[in-house]
Amino acid sequence: MDMQGHWYPVSLAHSVEPGSAAGVRLDGRELVVWRDGEGGAHVWEDRCPHRGMRLSLGFVREGRLGCLYHGWEFGADGQCSHIPAHPDSQVPKAIRTRPYPKEVRFGMIWTALSAEPPPPLPEDAAEITPVASLYLDCAAAAALSALRASRLPPFRAGDHDAGTVFETVAPTLFRLSAGSESILVGLQAVAAERTALHIVIEGPGVVYAGQGQSHFLRWAQELRHRIETPSLNSANRPGEAP
Amino acid sequence: MPDLTLYNYDLDESCYKARLLLSFLGLDCKIVAVDVFPGREQTTPPFLALNPLGRLPILTDGDFVLTGTEAILAHLARAHDPSERWLPMEGEAFARVMSWLTFSARDLDVTITARQRSLFGPPGDETSLVAASRRLLRIMDEHLLARGYTGEEWFAAPHPTIADIALFPAFALSRDVGIDHDEYPALRRWSRRFRGLSGFRVMPGIPEYF
Repeated sequence: MDMQGHWYPVSLAHSVEPGSAAGVRLDGRELVVWRDGEGGAHVWEDRCPHRGMRLSLGFVREGRLGCLYHGWEFGADGQCSHIPAHPDSQVPKAIRTRPYPKEVRFGMIWTALSAEPPPPLPEDAAEITPVASLYLDCAAAAALSALRASRLPPFRAGDHDAGTVFETVAPTLFRLSAGSESILVGLQAVAAERTALHIVIEGPGVVYAGQGQSHFLRWAQELRHRIETPSLNSANRPGEAP
Repeated sequence: MPDLTLYNYDLDESCYKARLLLSFLGLDCKIVAVDVFPGREQTTPPFLALNPLGRLPILTDGDFVLTGTEAILAHLARAHDPSERWLPMEGEAFARVMSWLTFSARDLDVTITARQRSLFGPPGDETSLVAASRRLLRIMDEHLLARGYTGEEWFAAPHPTIADIALFPAFALSRDVGIDHDEYPALRRWSRRFRGLSGFRVMPGIPEYF
């Protein structure tokens, strides 16, 4: 898959809490996703410009991301604003992190490996209920073909005979619908043979929180089991009797 | 005050579990440092008299000598936590604590072995131990993920219990065997909450900051 010029989801939005940081990988590159105190999301290269320490091991303090190693702190613009060993010095402008484009949409945090943001993602009008992030030992193309072949069992009664419709919403975002219900799956190419699927329900929490989420988590775990168990890769699809 | 003594090694995550609960409960406890590496002092006669298995931690409560990490956690909570929060006695919460203590004692042992090999052992192939550790962390992550669907934030009860203590080091120390926290979002969030508990303390390998 051509990695340039597309948005990629790197986390479910609620998985990175305000005031915290997490490491993620995209096409083998290590990135840090963090949220400032107001919940604003940021995606940077996961390297402190000082000694190369992973910034995702650090801490968020007063809207800045601090490095665990020597406490250098970086503001939302990526600029280093504080060096504890030289508290009174003006920090040179050249000391900064490398920021990547970022977007929060469809209940996921998105980034791109290009310097400029790719064309905008579609609008997300519907309410979203998060389900899970699945991490798979396979290439993105293999995960996508397993997803295409899967059957989505509806959560609510009355939709049992509905067939599954697969739809490409954006180059890395797919919709599976069954009757009146649908889920969105964002595709993260973690590395050559590692892929993450970020799964959300297109529907409000009042309907899907709890049992609805568990229902689609079981579907996702079954999909993963199929991918991880090559002997199952025959004609049977998730949701069908063997 | 209880007359407690913990035979302890600072780099041992099982001893750390006992230290955590002592700290959460605010209990005074005499800490005896044991030279596990390189001295292997826990396998010398004075310690074998306390635990013939030659392992730490060992707790004495008055004249009573107790071994086994999970038993020590359960005893401290039962005998010295009048609120019964750390070891809840009502039906399902109690059973869930037991289930995760069993998981910790039987299954998570592989994460301890993986870490000991990587820190102290000769260079070797730890691939299968690390793969097994990943699988266990994924089971823990998805348990918390599913509990989160109904607003639950801890492993066994609506509040932290000794199950959370028994499980915390395996995740917090996983980077020592090369397992990043990237792919365990529910454990990451739980770990932040755990670190925020009053009385939380770190051990070598677990940073102060988060």
